[in-house]
Amino acid sequence: VVVEDQPDVSAVLSAYNQQGDPTLYEEYYSGLKHFIECSLDCHRAELSQLFYPLFVHMYLELVYNQHESEAKSFFERFHGDQECYYQDDLRVLSSLTKKEHMKGNETMLDFRTSKFVLRISRDSYQLLKRHLQEKQNNQIWNIVQEHLYIDIFDGMPRSKQQIDAMVGSLAGEAKREANKAKVFFGLLKEPEFDVPLDDEDEEGENEEGKPKKKKPKKDSVGSKSKKQDPNAPPQNRIPLPELKDSDKLDKVMNMKEAARRVRLGPECLPSICFYTFLNAYQGLTAVDITDDSSMIVGGFADSTVRVWSVTPKKLRSVKTAADLSLIDKESDDVLERIMDEKTASELKILYGHSGPVYGTSFSPDRNYLLSCSEDGTVRLWSLQTFTCLVGYKGHNYPVWDTQFSPYGYYFVSGGHDRVARLWATDHYQPLRIFAGHLADVTCTRFHPNSNYIATGSADRTIRLWDVLNGNCVRIFTGHKGPIHSLAFSPNGRFLATGATDGRVLLWDIGHGLMVGELKGHTDTIYALRFSRDGEILASGSMDNTVRLWDAVKAFEDLETDDFTTATGHINLPENSQDLLLGTYMTKSTPVVHLHFTRRNLLLAAGAYSSQ
Amino acid sequence: RGGAERSGAERCLSALQVMAQILKDMGITEYEPRVINQMLEFAYRYVTTILEDAKIYSSHAKKSGVDADDVRLAIQCRTDQSFTSPPPRDFLLDIARQKNQTPLPLIKPYSGPRLPPDRYCLTAPNYRLKSLQKKVSSSAGRITVPRLSVGAVSSRPSTPTLGTPSAQTVSVSTKVGTPVSLTGQRFTVQIPSSQAAVKSATPTTPTVQNVLINPSLIGPKNILITTNMVSSQNTTNESNPLKRKHEDDDDYDNL
Repeated sequence: VVVEDQPDVSAVLSAYNQQGDPTLYEEYYSGLKHFIECSLDCHRAELSQLFYPLFVHMYLELVYNQHESEAKSFFERFHGDQECYYQDDLRVLSSLTKKEHMKGNETMLDFRTSKFVLRISRDSYQLLKRHLQEKQNNQIWNIVQEHLYIDIFDGMPRSKQQIDAMVGSLAGEAKREANKAKVFFGLLKEPEFDVPLDDEDEEGENEEGKPKKKKPKKDSVGSKSKKQDPNAPPQNRIPLPELKDSDKLDKVMNMKEAARRVRLGPECLPSICFYTFLNAYQGLTAVDITDDSSMIVGGFADSTVRVWSVTPKKLRSVKTAADLSLIDKESDDVLERIMDEKTASELKILYGHSGPVYGTSFSPDRNYLLSCSEDGTVRLWSLQTFTCLVGYKGHNYPVWDTQFSPYGYYFVSGGHDRVARLWATDHYQPLRIFAGHLADVTCTRFHPNSNYIATGSADRTIRLWDVLNGNCVRIFTGHKGPIHSLAFSPNGRFLATGATDGRVLLWDIGHGLMVGELKGHTDTIYALRFSRDGEILASGSMDNTVRLWDAVKAFEDLETDDFTTATGHINLPENSQDLLLGTYMTKSTPVVHLHFTRRNLLLAAGAYSSQ
Repeated sequence: RGGAERSGAERCLSALQVMAQILKDMGITEYEPRVINQMLEFAYRYVTTILEDAKIYSSHAKKSGVDADDVRLAIQCRTDQSFTSPPPRDFLLDIARQKNQTPLPLIKPYSGPRLPPDRYCLTAPNYRLKSLQKKVSSSAGRITVPRLSVGAVSSRPSTPTLGTPSAQTVSVSTKVGTPVSLTGQRFTVQIPSSQAAVKSATPTTPTVQNVLINPSLIGPKNILITTNMVSSQNTTNESNPLKRKHEDDDDYDNL
């Protein structure tokens, strides 16, 4: 049984006859406030969820219908009652006093025309309905029906603590049906091919075509079972580029490195190697490191993109056409000869953007680099010539983040226009547009199987989108500030998210639930990364620390059975302290990027700030 | 408050205070001190522009003075020009629905670097070197191709070098496909002295094609303006590099 849905009113003026007399809004609100404050303890926490959305909606109605003085006094009287985590919103609202102010603010307009979702237990709802349907409360009942969507669940009413963990977004919580679609969170099968493994292969590894086939040590790569994982997407669900020879070589290298990987755990923490950007007066705004940890790129506020080589091997670009015509094309090492030794250097600077560069991403085959900027474009650079190849125009507003797909070819970008776009390198227009967020899309990440994209937004929600058809399959609420970092676990089942509220939240993708809350950081979390086998979660923050969390323990013994998932929430244990394995402080360098090498060494990056 | 009696400096100070208060109200706590000055400048310029526009609108409507409607109209017009905001939600949902209906395109295997058509890439050269001028048929004066260095013209088709001081006939021709190449375009740079015509010394001189020199287009500064693609004469020949069809732009006046 769900509250009867009123037909969605159009964005144009909603007749306020339905919503009662604006001069009486203060009375309606204080009447409801009195009722809720006098209700039973067990219901009060749930019913208190009504305060904020009703306050904002009623205030916006008054402003939109140009009752300026009523709006002002309404705001004065009740804004102090709201929860502390809504303070930023309230500050924005306090500056919106006229209808004209609302016009440029797309977020507030969207808020006004969408329904705020509340999740309330059946008992509490009955109580509320009975009260509001009494004749004298008819007006506020209309307002509630107009602007709120109440998702009822059968079960115990939630405590204030439980509610506080999950509310905070601009759109309320997520309806249960929004998280019911099937998600293929499993990984795609790795292609099997002969691996010429040699155990002591430090130098003499290149005996190609060794007939002896040693089985790789780990079974997660090249699994022997032929059964299809029911949670994994079919191999051809979305078209993926074929595996080139160079990719196969890379995979072989990967497997060899995997064999030497350090097993991490509470007893064996990773070593952390920190790359500090000194004298970054240009303002470091984005960092990325290649999968094999050979190159590091920095995006800067002066619109340059700088690529460094992390290894002693310098960065070389291809020779000019003139010189290329001179080389012997038949020689064995032609791939070496086309590289220009004269201009090899440790640093290459790429010019092209006309605004600060907010996101960078290497392609998995290390041939391309993406960068997105405040100028509204995403640029594709070649790492063989260190020149710009394509500028993808689509967002006409700042683009906050971009990432290549784990298999290359596709990439995603998210920006100020509140949508994320999926592109392919050979199409000048996006292939998919993911629209639904109420505010800027600040963070975009691919799932390891490349079939899903997670977007974090300034409206404090995380959405999971299906690449195949653009549908939103999951909505996760709980953060109290814009989300700035996302990380999928290597097995594809879980998602970790970090925001300006300093909390790391953990989500079970299959069930669509919040399964963990890691408290400890005191400032925005800009970097999150799982170790290569998912045993450790590393988080880096503006508070100049890197923290390591025990991911194995966080995800074991989850009570996700049918009963708990039906309600839409599970009991979160208060175990942040138990899960915290270590806190590592830098002198005064906020951590902007984290990366686990193939051997599970943790690399971190940030720009030294002298204050 | 007797504002008119206060000195200009005092008024300025209070404007600073007001701006600082506005920043505080909007929750901005950390900023460089010059931000306040910049914001004040912006506010002053914005208000002045709006009021000027409003005056224009009110005089157009033959009103005696500027009223609130004029100001409102002025603000609206300026907002549509400079302070655009992202598209509204229903529009985004609409285009998203359209885009997401088309299935994902299949990926052709083994197709080299996957880039959009050349038109949409930034890989084309964004400059063209001045084209080589062969014979100027008419005896309409001497055509001096200016700049670069002056010296004896030698038409040795040696190793192509661009921009070398020695007066050589140089040319560059490239193949399509190499990443740094100027895809397929041929052009030449000639650095002659006073001769208008250049003898070609190589036996394998392709004939000049598509040369259209309209003498009347030769401007006062003796700059040649060609309207067609000129294929070079003294090229070192990589045989048949691919040519890209272009319309010639006007040569730049670099005197």
